[in-house]
Amino acid sequence: MSDLNDAILAAHARSDGRALVGLYTQAADGANDTNTSCFFLTYAYIYALELGMAEADTLYVRLDANGRV
Amino acid sequence: MARNDSLTDLSVVRQPVETAQGLPNAHYIDEGVFEEEKHAVLFANWAGLAVASEVPEIGDAKPIEFLGIPLLLVRDRADKVRVFQNTCRHRGMVLVTEPKKIEGAIRCPYHSWCYSTAGKLVSTPHVGGAGFNTHEAINKDELGLIEVRSHIYFDTVFINVDGKAEPFEVVHADLLDRWKEFDQPMYHGGAESCFDLEVKTNWKLAVENYCESYHLPWVHPGLNSYSRLEDHYHIQEPNKYSGQGTLVYKQLQGPDDAVFPDFKGLDEKWNTGAEYVAIYPNVLLGAQRDHCFSIVLQPNTLSSTTEHIHLYYAEPKTSEDMRSRNAHLWKTVFEEDIFVVEGMQKGRHSPLFDGGRFSPAMDGPTHNFHAWVAGKVQEHRDMQDA
Repeated sequence: MSDLNDAILAAHARSDGRALVGLYTQAADGANDTNTSCFFLTYAYIYALELGMAEADTLYVRLDANGRV
Repeated sequence: MARNDSLTDLSVVRQPVETAQGLPNAHYIDEGVFEEEKHAVLFANWAGLAVASEVPEIGDAKPIEFLGIPLLLVRDRADKVRVFQNTCRHRGMVLVTEPKKIEGAIRCPYHSWCYSTAGKLVSTPHVGGAGFNTHEAINKDELGLIEVRSHIYFDTVFINVDGKAEPFEVVHADLLDRWKEFDQPMYHGGAESCFDLEVKTNWKLAVENYCESYHLPWVHPGLNSYSRLEDHYHIQEPNKYSGQGTLVYKQLQGPDDAVFPDFKGLDEKWNTGAEYVAIYPNVLLGAQRDHCFSIVLQPNTLSSTTEHIHLYYAEPKTSEDMRSRNAHLWKTVFEEDIFVVEGMQKGRHSPLFDGGRFSPAMDGPTHNFHAWVAGKVQEHRDMQDA
């Protein structure tokens, strides 16, 4: 998780929204509970939405499945 | 807002041109009157903000400040140009601070509320707590970006900030009819066909100078060789618009006598004619057989104005060299006017100047504008009293 955390911070530092979508999705996938997962999925979804990335649709579906959008 | 009618008497401005005097000094040098005019003249009518070509592609967004209001010019996914208040509906954060391409959504940099290019609020991350992106108290359908009424004419984006003006097509029906032949595609000449002039003057003086041909021989002696004073005529529609026309428009000629292509289907009067109209309050338009222009006057402060000039052609591909020469020609002409509008601004600090007398023969279009401004300010004062 530390490597992933470092990667997320580095992506934020260079304002790399596309990388953040993947990294936050990865964080969500590795979370141990639904709340934590949806917390990270939200970030992934928002950056994907901002950048018009196709991933926004699947991330929305995942959040919706948990009643989070 | 404090009343300002103790500062200015507008009745004399609205008299016939033979006896009228110009707007009092305070309309150029007094912050209180500037604030009053902001609401009465610029917010209550269809004011020029920008040109649509500033956001040429879908998703293009450009922040523009108009009299202190942060606005956002956007070309949405449906190719419609819209104007929004550039302010998040959550905590009032300014959304976009520099021109950019909106690839997906407009994301507020503060808490990341996201809006579509059509202004719809599409996501409110963590609004119900961490990882919960909805809350029953937050109805996204009610919290879209606040759109400012806008209308595009001559590629110029006009806005009605207070939302109460009659529709643009109604207010300017006469001009739309007068220039209906130019209701056809016109193509922005590109980067070399737009330029800005920073002028230390109240925005109205730029309008006043543009309206009249009286000054041409004195200020633009270079025009005398082909566009003499006697070849001009007044354009003046009370309470609407004013300007000047010429009967001897001469096309720019390039190598081998090349000229720009004409707009299609124009009446033969345009072969040698051209018209220059101030569409009140703050847009100056020029119509000619082979190119048009739009000048949006951006009032920055009481005594500083930015003139945004854009040139348009009848076809998308024209000679770059000729476009560059044409832009240079117009820039030279408009720069020649700067000392005049700045000089008149300085002159307004003479306390005994009484607004000035108009030449009934030559200043009709200028008086037309003064009378319109005075009428709008008076309407505003009457509303305040009601």
